[in-house]
Amino acid sequence: MNQKIRQLAAGLMVCYVVLFVALNYWQVGQKEELDAKFDNTRQVLREFNRPRGEIISADGVVVARSLPDTTNESLDFVRDYPTGDLMSNVTGYFTKDFGSTQVERQYGDVLVGSTVAQQVRGLGNLLDGNVDNAGSVQLTLRHDAQLAAKFALGAREGSVTVTDPNTGAVIAMYSNPTYDPNDFVGVPFEEARDAITELQNADGNPLLANAYQERYMPGSTFKVITAGIGLESGVLTRETNFPRERQYVPPQTNDPINNYNGSQCGGDMAEVFRRSCNIPFAKTAIELGVDRFVAGTKNWGIDEQLPIDLPRAATSTIGNVENLDKALPLLAIRGFGQSEVQMVPLHMAMVAGAVANGGQMMSPYVVDATFDQAGRELDRTSPSLWKTPISPATAALETEFMTGVVQSGTASCCMTLDGGIQAAAKTGTAELGLDSNPDLSHAWIIAFAPAENPRFAISVVLTNVQSTQDVSATGGRLAGPIAKDMLDFLLTGQGAI
Amino acid sequence: MADGLIDDQPSHRRRSPIAARRRNTELTLIVMAGLITAVAYALAALGTNAEIPPGIVVFVAILLGLLVCAHIVVRLVARGADGTLLPLAALLHGIGFVMITRLDDRLAGLQATWSLMAIGIFVGTLLFVQRTTDLANKKWLFFVAGAFLLLLPMVPGVGQTFNGARIWVSIGPINFQPGEFAKIALAIFFAAYLAERRELIAAKTWKVGPLYLPEPRYILPVIVAWGFAVIVMVGERDLGSSLLFFTLFVVMMWVATENAGYLFIGAILFGGAAWFSWSNFGHVQTRVSNWINPWDDPLGGGYQTIQALYGLADGGLLGTGLGRGNPGQVPEAQNDFIFASIGEEFGLIGATAILMSYVLIVGAGLRTALRTDRTFEKLLATGLTTIVGVQAFIIIGGVLKVIPLTGITLPFVSYGGSSLLSNYILLALLIRVSDSAARRLGELPDDPTTGERWKAWRLSRRIRQAVKRGETPADFVEAVS
Repeated sequence: MNQKIRQLAAGLMVCYVVLFVALNYWQVGQKEELDAKFDNTRQVLREFNRPRGEIISADGVVVARSLPDTTNESLDFVRDYPTGDLMSNVTGYFTKDFGSTQVERQYGDVLVGSTVAQQVRGLGNLLDGNVDNAGSVQLTLRHDAQLAAKFALGAREGSVTVTDPNTGAVIAMYSNPTYDPNDFVGVPFEEARDAITELQNADGNPLLANAYQERYMPGSTFKVITAGIGLESGVLTRETNFPRERQYVPPQTNDPINNYNGSQCGGDMAEVFRRSCNIPFAKTAIELGVDRFVAGTKNWGIDEQLPIDLPRAATSTIGNVENLDKALPLLAIRGFGQSEVQMVPLHMAMVAGAVANGGQMMSPYVVDATFDQAGRELDRTSPSLWKTPISPATAALETEFMTGVVQSGTASCCMTLDGGIQAAAKTGTAELGLDSNPDLSHAWIIAFAPAENPRFAISVVLTNVQSTQDVSATGGRLAGPIAKDMLDFLLTGQGAI
Repeated sequence: MADGLIDDQPSHRRRSPIAARRRNTELTLIVMAGLITAVAYALAALGTNAEIPPGIVVFVAILLGLLVCAHIVVRLVARGADGTLLPLAALLHGIGFVMITRLDDRLAGLQATWSLMAIGIFVGTLLFVQRTTDLANKKWLFFVAGAFLLLLPMVPGVGQTFNGARIWVSIGPINFQPGEFAKIALAIFFAAYLAERRELIAAKTWKVGPLYLPEPRYILPVIVAWGFAVIVMVGERDLGSSLLFFTLFVVMMWVATENAGYLFIGAILFGGAAWFSWSNFGHVQTRVSNWINPWDDPLGGGYQTIQALYGLADGGLLGTGLGRGNPGQVPEAQNDFIFASIGEEFGLIGATAILMSYVLIVGAGLRTALRTDRTFEKLLATGLTTIVGVQAFIIIGGVLKVIPLTGITLPFVSYGGSSLLSNYILLALLIRVSDSAARRLGELPDDPTTGERWKAWRLSRRIRQAVKRGETPADFVEAVS
């Protein structure tokens, strides 16, 4: 019998070795795969039962905080957003059942205090019996600027983005429609599910931060980029003169390209820029050719995800470039920002910022600094250069052109700032060219001010605006006043620092 | 006088270096297990509520007090037994208790009561069963008791169904799972019966076609007991216990007869039964499909397994830390799935320690079976060890998706009075067999037990009285025998 008992021992041993192997498989081998499963809420749950720090605007307003849970959700804390929909594009939301977004997601480890630096610093607290190691996040966005943007935009659909061109810090980024996270955070599950489902199905993607997660046809604001590429490559100079003409027939087609409203338009660079003629920029694109044009747009960061410190940023595009050399009319049209060109509103603010900053395009960021539980600084974002699309000389030239737009061009109506401050701008009216609604456009303006010593760069886009017979929905007329309001507020108004 | 017949020396105090060494090892290990439990208890409270529990000193005192009490009883009545069995059980029990406390405060109080009773029944079993032969002599009693306990949940008005299995009995305020106790009774019966008849059964004198089978009348009681158990378990929808009983029976037949054919027959029977129940019972099909791919029904049948796996993955190598994970996401986390909770919060390292503890218990149990020279003790130790080893394998394997999930408790770790009490009885019996083996190997003097000394004292008194009356010792011996 002893032999059988030994065999039994060996058999049971094998069983336990199998268990050990299986244990390794799940806990180590499959760990990452299981952790990444969409319905795995372990990570969120763990964070939910820990104190979570505040998100604070640059001017000290608490925009996200945790309160003790008073509902019957059996969680210790519930997230609260005191400013409602004002900052939700940037703070995002933090839910148990529907995931988390934006700063709440990207800086979750800081907010619960699980970064290595916080854990090391928090060791002393643990000995005191204090496990509240939650950090806080300070945004670059100003609550007052955000309110001004919201007020300026009013009920219109679109977004307003203001950055500091010298650092890339985002000072305001508001889009309409948006959402109030309190509608589905900290409410019973069914109510939250209904609210979020409604938002998911709503027009205009309110759950997306349209300013950096959506892209729109840029229209003539794109001419800043085309002009930049032309000037850098030598195809354009300050002296380049374009004939005054109504029509231009690009190669490979018989269909002519028109200027806006079919006007006759031409002259030197400053004039065609100021008046926003289409034909000169179509010609520039054709003269650059596909390779130089595409390479040039890449220098401006097109076709690359925006390097913002938030998750899931959109990517600007000039559309499909395969076989574009066999479709040169499309290239010509893209030269002035129509057709398949689509730009992220934040990216357009960065384009204005690059011109303002001597040709240097800074990486945008929304988090200025993070702090530990005791308020000691953990990390401060240092500005970083993303792209250098143009030389300082070209930047100076484009600044001159954009100043002309404000002084006597398409934005002369609306961009004269208070206090005699000179702004530089470029307008855009992107005709969506829908057969069903030919007058539907996106109205754009990108600008910076003061022109000599720029402190703010801005992009404003009003989406899906309708031209009527009396009033044409142009970027200058519609978006211009919003940009002016914002710049006045920040430079000479209540928001001037 | 009767000097040659009766030894009046206080012989149970005679020195034995081997026994003393074993008991000192046991004491050291038991204190270590207690301290590990105490530290885990404090850590769990720190992780959950960020404070050292106020009653920690009382907790440690009671815990160590209980363990030392169990140890002292072993020292008194089973001092030759293996020194690792009790500490291993104490460690598993302690970790399980901490995990249950961490999962559910309300259950913690109940589990504490059960723990107290478990130590009590452990001590009681050791004191009551001082000779293994007492068990063997009462094998038919165990047969009847086992059958009775198995049938009890089927009795209308008494049996209760929880979570789909009718394995509970409610009598007044007391709820228990008689199956947990039936497994021990049947193991004792199998061991005793097979020890007595193994040669007859192994002889295979009955020829059916090409097969030589044991004489039916010798094998019949075993078949009846086994078939009864399995059928009842299947009737009660208790798949885990059915598997356990089946394995226990096959292993004991195999070891007793030294005939590997029983393993073969067992495999065929099991395959047939598995196929039959798979094709006839919906709940078996559900179990199997949940095993193959739990993600087919992630919010229904697969939920428990999926959540357990997420927990294990979240724990990773080092675990989330006690009180820092979310093992409560898994239904029945304190019971069948407590291994997943341990894996989540203690990590691979902690879960491996649990696996190692079972391996060591199995090792100690089978070492006992090897050491003893009595067939009954060999078979009993083998059977009891198989119960612990296989039961732990069935549920851990189910949690880890190695085999289909069949609900059964994790010995010593899971929440539940029936489980704890029965496993401590089992442990006491193993320790008793181990002690008996040591005595027969001459490692310590085979002192008479308390009961035997009591009998001897009464006998000597009667002899003295008889001598006074003028009878000769020879007459008397004749009279009492």
